[in-house]
Amino acid sequence: MKPREDFAELGAASPKPDLKDPRVVLSLLETDQVVAAKQQTRFGRRTLSPGIKILLWGLRVYVVVMFVLVVVSVIRATHSAP
Amino acid sequence: MTGRKQDSETGSFGSARPTTEIAASSPAAGDLVGLLTHEDVDRARDRWRVTRARWQGRGAQRFRPLRVLWLLVGPGVLVFLGENDAPSMLSYSATGARFGIGFFIPFVVLTFLIGLVVQEMTVRLGAVSHRGHAELIFDRFGKFWGFFSMGDLVIGNFLTLITEFIGIRAGLGFFGIRPVVAVGVGLVAVVGAITTGRYWTWERITLGLAIFNGLFIPAAILAHPDWPGVGHALLTWTPLPQGRAAEILLLILADIGATVTPWMIFFQQSAVVDKGMQPRDIRAGRFDTLLGATLAAIFAIAAILATAPLFHHGIDASQFQGAQFAEALAPWIGHVGAALFALGIFEAGIVAAIAISTSSAYAFGEVTGTGHSLNRPVRDAWPFYSTLLGSTCAAAALVLIPHAPLEFVVLTVNVIAVLAMPPALAFLILLVNDRDVMGEHVNGFWENAAGIVVTVLLVGVGIAFGVTTVFPKLLGG
Repeated sequence: MKPREDFAELGAASPKPDLKDPRVVLSLLETDQVVAAKQQTRFGRRTLSPGIKILLWGLRVYVVVMFVLVVVSVIRATHSAP
Repeated sequence: MTGRKQDSETGSFGSARPTTEIAASSPAAGDLVGLLTHEDVDRARDRWRVTRARWQGRGAQRFRPLRVLWLLVGPGVLVFLGENDAPSMLSYSATGARFGIGFFIPFVVLTFLIGLVVQEMTVRLGAVSHRGHAELIFDRFGKFWGFFSMGDLVIGNFLTLITEFIGIRAGLGFFGIRPVVAVGVGLVAVVGAITTGRYWTWERITLGLAIFNGLFIPAAILAHPDWPGVGHALLTWTPLPQGRAAEILLLILADIGATVTPWMIFFQQSAVVDKGMQPRDIRAGRFDTLLGATLAAIFAIAAILATAPLFHHGIDASQFQGAQFAEALAPWIGHVGAALFALGIFEAGIVAAIAISTSSAYAFGEVTGTGHSLNRPVRDAWPFYSTLLGSTCAAAALVLIPHAPLEFVVLTVNVIAVLAMPPALAFLILLVNDRDVMGEHVNGFWENAAGIVVTVLLVGVGIAFGVTTVFPKLLGG
């Protein structure tokens, strides 16, 4: 495998690269930047520890409660508006 | 590249991993040759410019960094100037009009430092993973948490989009332009920016518009601010705001929400990916983010300074909307200053409408697995462009409904942004500490400490808001 710099500079060395040549396009992109390559791979689900689950649920409850309170404050402001 | 290709029997996907492997040197290069898209070619063109600027620069050391930075600046400046949007500039204006020069000047600087800590993480996440934020949340945490996260984003983005069109209408309303025409101008700007079919062109057009956020600077200068007072406030955080604690807390919340919001995380990460940034560009991405935060902080402070005369002359601005600020300012900063202020609100709405609608479209495309790049032609990514235009048109139409109670949307949109931020930050911090995604670019101790402090601070401010809502008399409200 050629070193990364060599490939990058291969495309860059051309004053006007021929981007119709797929090899030139591939020499300028990292593998995961190519749409087709990215579509074929996933990082996959991570394991959520109990601590992380508690954190996420806690923050979810926090958001729901806060949104309710925003609605309450809006209703209150509506009724107190002249 | 072993295991990267989709398993044809099980339909499962290969494992992604953090890598800087060039596609041409990948074992899958032969397969990829026939699968390249318009998006890949455009992105390769952008990468060629950056690589060539670095390569050529070896003979011209002095200008090399500037040339490279010019090519890589974009997402960071756009996200911060986009967040200096109509409701944000109105929050800063209300702050200046209510409390003048004092505590809130350094406080605004602090909020941008908070924003900087958050957005720097999105740069690394995008440059290393080459995936958008919504895509990574669905991928790593599953659909259950993904849909919750998307729910927060969709609600926040749509409400904010409405306020951008309120700002557009109010800004042009100062010049006597009818609401339907003003809203039409906003729509044309959004459509015009995306019809180029190139991320690079879209980014430069939007950057060109965003720089007019600086209109608040001449407006501030025309207000003849007390510069020693500004310096004193920056150094001492005084004078402290006087008045009802509940009102002060609401402005604190609104000013934080004017700087850190969930859409910024989703937008900048997706823009970094669409721009084609790579791990070697992270330093430039950090500079881009710092530049954006600095410019936005200066413009935000300028809005506070521009409206400070209302405080000094005892004018009650508590019920003011965009154009009313400009009209009230005219006797103190002149018609030209007021016009600049109104144009600034208009510009803030336009740029934010472009950025926020794009953020929604990116997230939609990432979640549904459909094309989601501004480098794609409309025929290849019509769901992406439909989401972008559909959300924009719906928000624009709502603003034109007579007597719609939209003032409450303006008042609460920044508050909602702050309240929705802690879960978004939790996902961000978890992702950026995920070695399977980030490899060597995971957060260090100080980055985690800063991220956790910001999250705890936002939760604390949110709880304070909750307490004052449930017990309005507790803080003298």
